[in-house]
Amino acid sequence: MNQTNAGAESHGWLGEEFLTWLWFRWETDGGEFTLPGGRIVGVALDDFLTFAAPTDDETEQTLRRGLPTRTAEARTALRQGRRLRKARLLVAEGERQWAATLDGPTLSLGGVKLPEDAEECESDTDRTADRAANWLALHEIVQGLYRLFLKERLRADYKSTGAEAQASWMAR
Amino acid sequence: MVAIRKSGGVVAFHWQGKLTDPREDAFADALSQRRFRTIENAASEEVSVGWVTPADPTGDSFATEDLDGGAGAWLRFRIDKKSMPMKWLQIHRDAAEKARGKKLSARERRELKDDLMDQLLPRVLPTITLVDALLFHDRRTVLLFATSKTAREAFVKLMFETFTVQLDQGNPLENGLRLDLGEEEDFALERLEPIRWPNAERAQPSASLAAAAASAAEGDA
Repeated sequence: MNQTNAGAESHGWLGEEFLTWLWFRWETDGGEFTLPGGRIVGVALDDFLTFAAPTDDETEQTLRRGLPTRTAEARTALRQGRRLRKARLLVAEGERQWAATLDGPTLSLGGVKLPEDAEECESDTDRTADRAANWLALHEIVQGLYRLFLKERLRADYKSTGAEAQASWMAR
Repeated sequence: MVAIRKSGGVVAFHWQGKLTDPREDAFADALSQRRFRTIENAASEEVSVGWVTPADPTGDSFATEDLDGGAGAWLRFRIDKKSMPMKWLQIHRDAAEKARGKKLSARERRELKDDLMDQLLPRVLPTITLVDALLFHDRRTVLLFATSKTAREAFVKLMFETFTVQLDQGNPLENGLRLDLGEEEDFALERLEPIRWPNAERAQPSASLAAAAASAAEGDA
């Protein structure tokens, strides 16, 4: 059975733009987003970043540990116009917090850590239900963030508005 | 039965078409039709893939309540794989070549390997991999708790064989089209081109997109 992920091949760069946009919004707007349905989530970049190679002949660049978004290497990569390929994200909604590494081209999540089990969980059945809800919530939050990004990205005036602002931020 | 995992990698899949509701007995019946079958004593099979439940890793029982995963249905499949230790093959080949006093031909090596597989495979214990998934029927979404190509392919194949549904793995295009952004947006999304962010290291002093576009145009000229 053919299992090529055609959308990841044709639009993988869009997932990279999404990740870079999250970083931009986090640094310039504080990383708080109001998702469809009114849910408010906070997003921050954590201790792992991979910048995509600009061309097939060039290398990816990975920065890990500490605060990689604050490093000179990260700023240089942004100034060179490079997109994020992967990033470790911290996502919070109310008292719940998730950590996950988002892969831009596939939008898959690695190394996910769910919030702590709710205190009222008394059995494995309770814990399963609680965790299933948290897995689904994380998936929906990422989808909601992606929707916000696409709404902005697909606007006819995006290049002269949002993209210009992001380009200035990247060039700082 | 322990609780479902709270960490690890996850890949989202979506489907179109009809899939039996996991709360119906027909769903569990369908799983049982493609249940896991052991290859522990098999003489020839190297890989076996099939459904089990979180409560029973043998694939012998499929109670609907065993699939209860709160907001979703908790699916589990099992991959057993037997592989001949390569060192064994090498030792037997070396012994055969030593006895002959010369190297074996490619055909002889292949025959020797086939003979050894027939003899030794029944004695090899399979490695066991259990893979979980959470299926959210109303959202047409299933989260697979494995990211390897082998697991993803096995899962897609098993779902197709069981329910005749084709799963599509999430990606920036697929996920965008599923967001009901509108016809115009979907059209634009399919034809979208990447932004060429300016290289401020080269394009001083202005790093605007317009400057980058002009610079690129000059380069093209």
